[in-house]
Amino acid sequence: MDWRQLWEICSAPDNVPIVGLIPLLGFYIYLAWRQAHANDQLIEQLEGDAALAKTHHRKTWPFKPGWQKEVHVWPFLLRIEFLAAIIVTIILMVWSITLNAPLEEPANPNLTMNPAKAPWYFLGLQEMLVYFDPWIAGVVMPTMIIIGLMVIPYIDTNPLGSGYYTWKQRRFSIGTFLFGFIILWVAMIIIGTFIRGPGWQWFWPGQTWDHNRLIYEVNRDLPDIFGITSNMAKAVFGALVVGGYYLLGGFLVYSLFRRYMGKDFKRMSLLQFSLTQFLLLTMVALPLKMGLRLLWHIKYVWITPWFNV
Amino acid sequence: MPEQPNPEQDPITTKSYAAYYLVAMVILMATLFWALWDEAWVQRPWKAFQEQWKDRYSAFLNTARSKSATSETDVEKNPDYAALKQAYDKTYQDSKAQAAEARAAVDEVTARLLAVQTVFTDRRAYVNALSYEIETSTSASSKASKQKELADYKKEQATVEFPDGSKKKYTFPELEETYNQIRDERTKKSLELGDVLKPVTAAKAKMDEYISDHMVDLTPQQIDGLKKKTGEWDPKIVQINVAEANIVDRCESCHLNAREPLKISPASMMAKGEKKPDDYADAFVSHPEPELLGIHDPEKFGCSPCHQGNGRATTSMEKAHGNYEHWLWPLFPKENAQAGCQNCHAADMVLVSGDVQWQTINNGKDLFRQRGCMGCHRYEGYDKEPEDLNSIGQQLKQIETQKKDNLKQTAYLMKQADAAESNEEANRLNAHAVDLRVANSKLDGRLQQLDYQSHSLMQDMKKVGPNLKDVRLKLNKNWIPVWLKKPSDFRPTTKMPNFRLTDHQIQAISAYIWQSGFTDALPQRKPGNAAHGKELFETRGCLACHSIGEGDQLQGGTFAANLSRVGEKANYDYLVRWIHNARERTRPYCPYEKKDIGPEDYAKKGLPYQFDLDHSQCPNDGHELQVQNMTVMPSLRLAPEDAEDIATYLMTQKKQEPSSYADAAYMDDPTLKDEGKKWVRHFGCGGCHEIAGMEDEGRIGTELTYEGSKPIERLDFALFTTTAQRGGKDAEPITDKEDLARLPDGPATEPWYDQKGFFEHKLAEPNVYDKGKIKGELDASRMPNLHLTKEQVLDLTTFLMGSEETSLPGSYQYKPGDARHDIQEGWWIIKKYNCMGCHQFIPGQQTILMGLKQYQDIQEQLPPKLLTEGARVDPEWLRKFLSNPALSTTDTNRNGVRPYLKVRMPTFSFSDNELRKLVRFFQALSQQPLPYIPEQVPVLSAKESDMARSLFSSTAAPCLKCHATGDPAHDKIATAPNFLLAKERLKPDWVERWITDPQAVSPGTSMPSGLFKQQNNQWVFAGPTPPSFQGYEGDHRKLLTDYIFQLTPEEQRKVASAMPHAKAALLLPKSNRKQAVVESHQAASGGSR
Repeated sequence: MDWRQLWEICSAPDNVPIVGLIPLLGFYIYLAWRQAHANDQLIEQLEGDAALAKTHHRKTWPFKPGWQKEVHVWPFLLRIEFLAAIIVTIILMVWSITLNAPLEEPANPNLTMNPAKAPWYFLGLQEMLVYFDPWIAGVVMPTMIIIGLMVIPYIDTNPLGSGYYTWKQRRFSIGTFLFGFIILWVAMIIIGTFIRGPGWQWFWPGQTWDHNRLIYEVNRDLPDIFGITSNMAKAVFGALVVGGYYLLGGFLVYSLFRRYMGKDFKRMSLLQFSLTQFLLLTMVALPLKMGLRLLWHIKYVWITPWFNV
Repeated sequence: MPEQPNPEQDPITTKSYAAYYLVAMVILMATLFWALWDEAWVQRPWKAFQEQWKDRYSAFLNTARSKSATSETDVEKNPDYAALKQAYDKTYQDSKAQAAEARAAVDEVTARLLAVQTVFTDRRAYVNALSYEIETSTSASSKASKQKELADYKKEQATVEFPDGSKKKYTFPELEETYNQIRDERTKKSLELGDVLKPVTAAKAKMDEYISDHMVDLTPQQIDGLKKKTGEWDPKIVQINVAEANIVDRCESCHLNAREPLKISPASMMAKGEKKPDDYADAFVSHPEPELLGIHDPEKFGCSPCHQGNGRATTSMEKAHGNYEHWLWPLFPKENAQAGCQNCHAADMVLVSGDVQWQTINNGKDLFRQRGCMGCHRYEGYDKEPEDLNSIGQQLKQIETQKKDNLKQTAYLMKQADAAESNEEANRLNAHAVDLRVANSKLDGRLQQLDYQSHSLMQDMKKVGPNLKDVRLKLNKNWIPVWLKKPSDFRPTTKMPNFRLTDHQIQAISAYIWQSGFTDALPQRKPGNAAHGKELFETRGCLACHSIGEGDQLQGGTFAANLSRVGEKANYDYLVRWIHNARERTRPYCPYEKKDIGPEDYAKKGLPYQFDLDHSQCPNDGHELQVQNMTVMPSLRLAPEDAEDIATYLMTQKKQEPSSYADAAYMDDPTLKDEGKKWVRHFGCGGCHEIAGMEDEGRIGTELTYEGSKPIERLDFALFTTTAQRGGKDAEPITDKEDLARLPDGPATEPWYDQKGFFEHKLAEPNVYDKGKIKGELDASRMPNLHLTKEQVLDLTTFLMGSEETSLPGSYQYKPGDARHDIQEGWWIIKKYNCMGCHQFIPGQQTILMGLKQYQDIQEQLPPKLLTEGARVDPEWLRKFLSNPALSTTDTNRNGVRPYLKVRMPTFSFSDNELRKLVRFFQALSQQPLPYIPEQVPVLSAKESDMARSLFSSTAAPCLKCHATGDPAHDKIATAPNFLLAKERLKPDWVERWITDPQAVSPGTSMPSGLFKQQNNQWVFAGPTPPSFQGYEGDHRKLLTDYIFQLTPEEQRKVASAMPHAKAALLLPKSNRKQAVVESHQAASGGSR
């Protein structure tokens, strides 16, 4: 265990926010969960009490009798926001006193840094480049992420859970969010920061980042495993596999939705549902592809002259 | 909203945040103060430095002040000073009354001027502002109105109240005039005051000057000035800013005493009550080499161009010194400080300022050359000849081809012309053919030029190691594998490094070298007299370059091989030839054909088999041949018998019999030859040795010209990258004891991941970075172990650290265009041939011979010092002398100028190129202009000749007693050159200086000083002069010089025969002779010294 290496990574001014991110993430998830749990219990209690249920809206909101359902921005919101502003100011001041900007030597085009890492917020994209074509990872996926985020209000028709924490009322949305945020965003940043070393090789935390390290790793394409050689056949095969994934996956999602979220399913139109299904499957495809690559050294599944997936 | 009774408190509206706010605000305020403190102190650590400095330096100055005052009092006690003081007091008293009067007048005018000035400047400001408005107003009407306003204002009258109470009114023009009048008046009065005070200030200046001239340190007044400056110091960044070179150096913000005029050591800057100098004290020293600062004005050079570091940074010591991973030019450590010189002085071989030689960098440069580093590593400026020759060779080939093409074309054109249809066509083609022929004749001229150049270059080109083509003639065959195993085992001081060869490689390499060597026969030599050989070896000057004896017994120079065991390896016949003339080659080599030329090639052309510098054309193609061995070993012009004697002596130098070496029959195995060739090429043997088939091998190593600025990532620390970065107890990869001892700082404990660490480890143990790696024979590091000492590793590391691509503008590089360039070029040659082994070039420089035991008592037997050689000799003569130090083509077994010296000035067979550079070097070193036009020496009249002769032969200074005359009996005891050489050799003005005070020109010379004394602005002979000098007004010194320059052999013989022989000196034992000469001089010159 190379503690010094670990310390060097963690203490680099660039990486300090990421180190901070890990406990903060845990803390906020705990905080949200605690409140959600309290609300869920309250909702259960309210729903169980017929008299109380009457005084409330027909969709149950976690408000005890006498609690104001609406409060004024001033002072009730602003006093918390101002407190937050003070705390952020303190953090920023302490940070700027203790950590200097990570200025380095003038760029030398003949000698690029290794590993060359993107700023933390782009580490996810950089990690995606390992698994996909630049065109897919750099253009298609980010576009889909943005579009996907934009369509959320149109496909999420659940009126509950707005303005308060809850888990039971929005299990699917929150689960999907956590999957997207923790697995597809935070986990990628953590891999990019702590795992990827010189030569963008995979170093476990505590392993020394040796610039001279040599590893034997040969990647293959999925069609190669099946002995497919012609370009045409590869394209067709890849299309079948990818199409099959969406088809089978779609069927799975459909049956799960019907079984566990019948109410939501009924409320959705065909367009809403198929969009949800497509975006969800695409999201899940990323970790699947990562697994294929990392565990079985499969580089591409679908190979065409124009793009590879 | 109607209020409802709240059964339960609303958690949002009822919660109080007061406590949170209180805590947050307290922390916020604390953070704010922290930020202010950080801003004011932590980010500006130089403030603490300056505070400390103020205290400590003031205390130091107080002590210095009192010391200075004491020594000033001592100086003031001097009667000279008292006289000056008296003079001052007198003038002061004399002018007192007058001065007071003049001063009063000045005061009065000044008061009046002030009165007018106050009013005048105010009104002038208004006038100027109004004028500006007129100038810039755009409409004609407003211009007109303002002009009117201005005119009115000028007419307006202003009241001036004078100091005597009177009031006067002036319009603006009147006011201006009055003001100017009074001002002129004041200037006049001030001048008058100055005149009155002039003698007083002059007397005062004389007093001050006397004190500062007679005090070693600063005067109390000067120290008071420093004290005042220190006391008034406000914390501030001290910065040198040179826009031209992009230098911003704030080093002096902490190193406040760097440029102080006093010498300040860390000990003198310790805080009160401390025992050891702390970091502050170390930072406050004055620059240890103020003289260097004088040459490199900090206002132009700053600090970082020499020392490196981050001159702009002020936030911490690490940042400012650049000791962090992102600053690419960290401060050179103290021991490597001279690396900074290399940045601008890469073209200098020797760095001297005044009489200080910068030994670390000089030795580094020297080692790089002497140890043959440039055999494998290209370095701009080192060993240029092979490259130049190569390019000439290519040009030769190209021109030859072009010539052939032209000839072909000519023939073709002529044929075409014959068959041409019209006359014009035929003429045109013929004319073209003629043009081509002319072109060919031009090319012939170019060829000749190139051949001439390559003649010089081939003479200049030297190899560090011996010619291995001669290996069969030269060496004990069985010794070769033993030597290759580990050369330093046989000869600890050898330049030949250890290549870590396997037994198989040794066998193959020795087989190749043996089988590719010449097999020509050598003339048989008869054995000589070893005892005489020993004497010759010790007296002829061999020891200036070679050493003999091992360990404590070792004496002599390290420039060339140690000869202690030469008898075990050498072949006697070859050794004789080598000693007689090392440059003599077995066969000439033709670089054009790339082969060794033998008698058969000459026979084919019917030419005699003769090759030397005058017969250097290849019989096959007419291009230049290499006709010399590429060694710097010169010819000592020994008689063949002497060479035999020395060789016989050297052959006795052995520890074991040559026959005791194990038989190496495999060296004749032809199957090993090819493999041997592979290894010889692989290890780059051809870089230092001449080896058959390897003449054109390129350098095998990496270029080192800019090695110091190579990014650290490009230096392969291999498996030790992490240990080098982290330091600690396992930081040192070298385990071999001998190699560990080569590390300048000993085994590493601190991180050493930098250029310095890399170079030091690589030089101490060149294959250290192979350690732990699995490598094949061909992949393993080829760099041999140079068995360097600690100091040598430091020197070379310093040299390499300074080998950087600098960001300074070209004008900072030391590339002078004037005579200083000649000095630069000359040093390369001086060092190349180890001239400094015998001669002194820099005051205080020790030569090898000076350090030898045998010269301790007979200093006059040492080779002449060349401190003022350029001023002494005629450059044209010097050229002749350098090319033939015997100054004769027949009688060569002697020194041309100083036949009385046993040590011999050898014949180096310098090329024309090097001769020219050397002559220019000596002239430039003595600041002599070139070309030299000899001064006309006036022809002496008969009377003057007589007078001069009487000086020349005076018993008080019998010149011919010591100076050689050409009479063999006398010359045996002579200790100075023959006067007959003077005319051609010397410069008259130098001779005058020389005979006045030889000790000043060449300290330690046996030529007596004080022969002349100054009288009425004339130099006159110090001894008794004959009556003929009565009434002679001329300079005796000049008279004698003119006489010497007109001396003829007959005249000299005449004077010599008239002189009694100095028998006494002859009879004295050698060691006392010098003393005797001096005494006789003293006696003779009547104790005038």
